[in-house]
This record gives sequence, structure tokens and C-alpha cells, in this order.
Amino acid sequence: MRRSLRRFGGILLLVLAAAVVATALGSANIRLGDVLGIMASRLPGVGALVKPTWSTAHEMIVLRVRLPRVFLALVVGGGLSVAGVLFQGSLRNPLADPYIIGVSSGASLGAAVGLLVIIPRGLVGLGFLPLFAFAGAILATLAVARLGQRRGRLEPTSLLLAGVAMGAFLTAVVSLLMVLRIENLQDVYLWLMGSLSGRTWDHLLMALPYVGAGLLVALWLAKDLNVYLLGEEAAHSLGIDVQKVQRLVLISGSLMAAACVSVSGVIGFVGLMVPHALRLLVGAEHRRLILHSLWAGALFLLVADTLARTAFSPLEIPVGIITAFVGGPFFIYLLKRGSSFHG
Amino acid sequence: MDKMRLADVTYAYTDVPVVRGLNLSLKPGLFYGVVGPNGAGKSTLLKLLDGYIRPQRGTVYLNGKDLRTYALAELAREIALIPQTSFYFPFTVEEMVLLGRTPFYSRLGAPSEEDRRIARASMEVTGIAHLASRLVSDLSGGERQRVTIARAFAQETKVLLLDEPTTHLDLEHQINTCRLLKEKSGEGVTVLAVLHDLNLAASFCHRIFVLEAGELVAEGTPGDVLTPELIARVFKVSVPSLQHPVTGRPIIAP
Repeated sequence: MRRSLRRFGGILLLVLAAAVVATALGSANIRLGDVLGIMASRLPGVGALVKPTWSTAHEMIVLRVRLPRVFLALVVGGGLSVAGVLFQGSLRNPLADPYIIGVSSGASLGAAVGLLVIIPRGLVGLGFLPLFAFAGAILATLAVARLGQRRGRLEPTSLLLAGVAMGAFLTAVVSLLMVLRIENLQDVYLWLMGSLSGRTWDHLLMALPYVGAGLLVALWLAKDLNVYLLGEEAAHSLGIDVQKVQRLVLISGSLMAAACVSVSGVIGFVGLMVPHALRLLVGAEHRRLILHSLWAGALFLLVADTLARTAFSPLEIPVGIITAFVGGPFFIYLLKRGSSFHG
Repeated sequence: MDKMRLADVTYAYTDVPVVRGLNLSLKPGLFYGVVGPNGAGKSTLLKLLDGYIRPQRGTVYLNGKDLRTYALAELAREIALIPQTSFYFPFTVEEMVLLGRTPFYSRLGAPSEEDRRIARASMEVTGIAHLASRLVSDLSGGERQRVTIARAFAQETKVLLLDEPTTHLDLEHQINTCRLLKEKSGEGVTVLAVLHDLNLAASFCHRIFVLEAGELVAEGTPGDVLTPELIARVFKVSVPSLQHPVTGRPIIAP
């Protein structure tokens, strides 16, 4: 117990260090010491003791632009990964990801409707988009959950099929909207690829409660999910209320994924790859898997997003391109090494 | 007293009942075999006994009480089930066997020393103690089956239900599995296994239930039940009357 506490302490330090370094990197190069100083100056109690050695411009960049983005990358990366663990475990399917039951296509349609039809030009980016995306994601998930029932029970195979069908249908609607109203094509397209560019503390505050609550539910269900891996009948005979677990996973996983998608767009591969990789590294025991996926997903998206905004500076590329670029080959490597779901 | 009893139990997934008007009782300390052609309702019988599905008519009793009056967690301490298909994930053998202790510790807690001791004991009985830290996904079919049985043993229930526990095993592992189950019944546990191999059922089971089209058509000791007449009638194959030269139990061969 003490050993694992010390290990998680070390991991927390690693992630914080990465966050500080990522905040320092960028087109305006800010010294690490200044980043630490700016962060410390904002801490209650200590703040007054810090003597500013930096320019106001740098302070603005760190506090208004880079820090919210860095923290958002951590929250979205961790959230998508934990949601991925939940869906892969409860559907017992290695190809499940946080978007599998319609969250991403629902959010896309919501966002597209918002961008193309309802929000007047100029208002975009004022915080309407996440709300539209979130609503779309939740509506799509509710529809899939309804379609995925057989005789009143949620069933993994039906859920998966309903999710895939719903995804194809909604994506077609989004494409149609894009074709009919081409002037905003670029906005929708960029959003669909996923990006953390220009996000504010408000975006972070929108995603954080859902990710936090989802994480707690995931940890609460960890023991059930372990048993559930044995199959529904075996889990039942070990005292697990299978339907209750399914419903809770569906609700918490979808809310987490919807919150992440609504603030960051559709960032692919994180929620698929991170749980898969961690399962190979730390095993299938869910409490361990959830906690490790959390930090690994957070760190992965932070690194990917930092690359996205610095690699081709001043040009910024959508972070979804980076995650897929890294994720694709890595996934093939994992598959060659042997799948973790079938002996 | 009967450990479990089915009274006039009928169950239908759709309109056609797969189990109809079933009456049978299970006593402590006996190894029961359930045989019958495909679609006879054998797996459904197991699910009914385990409480996974509830009969549309009739009642399942455990310790003389209606099964429906037991809470899920309570039931998990009474009945262990090994279903036909098992999924194998990168759990270590020890983690997998410890899952059998799930009903005995809290949701946010961890297995106690006692839980670990019981898990270790059931690994030893099933001969897999030396595999404790290996990954289940790396094991052979025979080893995995022993892990699954060790998991059910660790649950320490008085009733053990198994759906075709020997189907994918070679001869040695088939016999070892049946031997383990028979030993378990010797400790007072009610063991009931669906078996496709009539010879295994004949060699190891104390009593045999024969199901056909959802109804119980015969019940008794292997010698009484597995006669050439019954096999011709239920399984549509004709076999000569043969007996094991040492045990005197029936041998079923074309």
C-alpha cells in the first residue's frame, strides 16, 4: 500500500513537471523559472512572497493561454482514457472506445447544427459550441442505449451494433449539412479533427466535473468490472448485478466522453489506445488499470498537444492528427505483440 | 433434506418452453450429471438453478426457501457456477482465483489474508499452485479449466454448477476434472454438471438426469439410466449393452 502510494506520488510529480515544461514551450519562449514563478504567484498564501521577474505579456500568455490549455489536455486525455477503460470492460470488446456508442457522431452533429444553422457568425467560440456538442452527444447516446436493449436488458452486442449504425447515420447527416452550407466547412472540419487551440478556463471548468465524477464512479465499479470480465453468467453467480453495472458504466462513460468531446472535438485513438496499452503493461485488474490509464492518457495528450502547437510553429495542427499519427503504428505494434483480450 | 429442488418449473425464452414442468431434487454430497441431446434444456436448467433466469411457472428452492427470496450477494455464497464459455484476460492465476472471493469482501476493500489463504488452498487442490503468478491468457486449455474450477472452489459454496466443464479438454484433463468434482462432492457439496460425454457421466456421477425436449425422462444411477433402450430412444443411436470389467458401470460405444 505504502509502495503504491509512493509510486503514485512520483507519477504525480512527473505529470506536474511535464505540465510546467509544456507551459514554457511555444512560439513565445518563456523560461521554466518564470513559469514556476507565475504559477506560484497565483497560489493562495505563497503568492505574495513571489517577486515578479517576468513581463506582463508572458504572465498573460501563461495564465490565459497556455495553462488552461495544458490542464485541459490533461483532463481530456485522462477522461477519454478512463472512459475507454469503462467501455472496453463493460462491452468486453478491445475495439470499444469512448465514442463507440455514438458520442462522437452525436457531438459532431450537435456542433455542426450549432455552427451551420443556429449560431450567427461571429458568436462562434463564445462557449455555445460545447453546449451544442454536449447535447448532441447525450441525445445520440440515449438513442443508442434504447436501441441496444433486448427484452429490457442492455446487451453488449446490440449496443455495439446500434452504436455503429447510429454513428454512420449521424455522420451522413453531418456530411450533408457540410455540403449544403459550405461557407463554414473549415470550422466544422477542424472541429471534427479535434483541437485544444484557443481553449479557456471555462472549457476546463465545463469538462472537469464530469471527468471527476466519472472517475469516481469508475473506481467505485472497479471490482464489479473485474468480475464482469468473466462473462455475464459468471459475474451474476459471484453476486454482481450485471444490469446495474452496465447502466452505470453507460451513463458515467458517456458523460465523461461527451464532456471531453464538447470542449476538444473528436480526438481519436487516446481512449482506444491508452487502456489497451496499459492493460498489457499493468494487467486487467480494473482499479490499477483505471488509475494508470488516467495519468498515462493525461500525459499522452499533453505531449501530443504540445507537439501539435510547436512542431510546425507558427502553424498549428489539430491534435487529433498527432494522436492518430502516433496511435496507428503503435496500435499495429500492440496487435503484432499479441492481443490482450484473447489468449 | 434436499439442498435444492425444482417444483413444476417451466421456462420459455420465446413462445416455446425450453424447460417444461420440471420436478427434481438435489441432495448434499452427490455428483449429478445432466445429459441429453442438443436443445434439451440442459443449460437452461443450470441458469434456473443459479437464479440467472427466473421460471415463468413453478418454484426453485434452495435450503427449502424460494430462490427469489435470496439477495444476489447472499446467493453468491451459496451457489457457484462455471458457465460454458469463459473469457480470459491478462489476470494472473492468483488474481483470477481470488475473484472467487468477491462475495466475501467489500466493494472498495481488498481480499483479506483469509481470502488469500482460501484461494491458495483451492489452487493447491486443483494442482495449479505453481502457476500462481502466470497470466491466465498464457495458459493451455487444460490449465485454464483448472483455474476456473479453482475460482469456483474458492467461492466455498455448498452447490457447484458446471456447464460442459470437459468439452474442450483432452482425455487426461477430462478425467482429472471429473475426479476433482467427485472429490468435492465427497466433502458434502452438491455438484451438478452438464456433460456431453456419456462415458464420463457413467464413470464418475452418482446420479444422472436425462433431459429430452425440456422434460426429465429418466433419473437414477448410471447403471439404471444409461441403458441401450434409453440411449436409442433419447439419442437416436443404437448401442450394445457393455459394462466396465472392473467397476461394472455402463460403457457407451457404437
